[in-house]
Amino acid sequence: MSDESNETVAVLNTTSVVGIAVCFVLAVAALFALPTVQARGGVGFDTAFWIISAVELVAALGIAYFVINLHEERG
Amino acid sequence: MDPTVLQAGYDLLGDGRPETLWLGIGTIFMLIGTFYFIVKGWGVTDKEAREYYAITILVPGIASAAYLSMFFGVGLTEVEVVGRGTLDIYYARYADWLFTTPLLLLDLALLAKVDRVSIGTLIGVDALMIVTGLIGALSHTPLARYTWWLFSTIAMIVVLYFLATSLRSAAKERGPEVESTFNTLTALVLVLWTAYPILWIVGTEGAGVVGLGVETLLFMVLDVTAKVGFGFVLLRSRAILGDTEAPEPSAGEASAAD
Repeated sequence: MSDESNETVAVLNTTSVVGIAVCFVLAVAALFALPTVQARGGVGFDTAFWIISAVELVAALGIAYFVINLHEERG
Repeated sequence: MDPTVLQAGYDLLGDGRPETLWLGIGTIFMLIGTFYFIVKGWGVTDKEAREYYAITILVPGIASAAYLSMFFGVGLTEVEVVGRGTLDIYYARYADWLFTTPLLLLDLALLAKVDRVSIGTLIGVDALMIVTGLIGALSHTPLARYTWWLFSTIAMIVVLYFLATSLRSAAKERGPEVESTFNTLTALVLVLWTAYPILWIVGTEGAGVVGLGVETLLFMVLDVTAKVGFGFVLLRSRAILGDTEAPEPSAGEASAAD
């Protein structure tokens, strides 16, 4: 027998949804940003490339974090 | 060894890159996969299924952007290699893998329901695999390139071993449906991911046995299968559903419950 007053429901965490969207847009933008980073940042290809790669990895980790926390329990 | 004994493709943009045919096809397949998963997942209310859909939609989504950048030549650079001259390197491919491979592994980790430390370890070794591959791709001497390739391949073997042992055991404990789906996906990953370093070593970035056209075609086939094919197998399985939408009981079970 369950006590209904203690039941919780899982609802979408808005912050996580926004976080996933931001990370995705960041990752897509980074794929096309290398020439801009080189030109505006005044850096060589290798440096720009590692910056882009770091952005991709951070975006993936961000998405992993936000997906794991996609729902929150509300009582 | 003489490079580019095999070539294939069609120069769609008229800029001297016959591999644009395969990059264009890759972009289309990835877009189809992305929209198919979006349509399939529209209106899904199951908590766990939503997580799988979120990850699995993003994987071909970012891959389609990577293929588009390579198609238009944005994701392309040249690297001088001693004894080989100037190589065309599609660097966007590596950026794509840095984003997509951790998410594919996250799908498998969520399916096996392993703890966060295991997920972190798996993704960490995976990142090491891609980063060492990146260093190899940008290195200027054959010795450095092959050494980093070896490091990357060893990291890949560790990832695959982890999948085939720890995660497989964890998936087995979650019941036959999860175990079956996990085993199918792991077999897919084991076969496809093993093909990547082999293609790299025989392709233009390694020994140059096959030309850029064939290499791009084969990478496209591997990428589409490893991302869209993987997602298709995962999302059609009931293993992704949480307890709230578990398979309905059979007629016998239902009447017994009544």
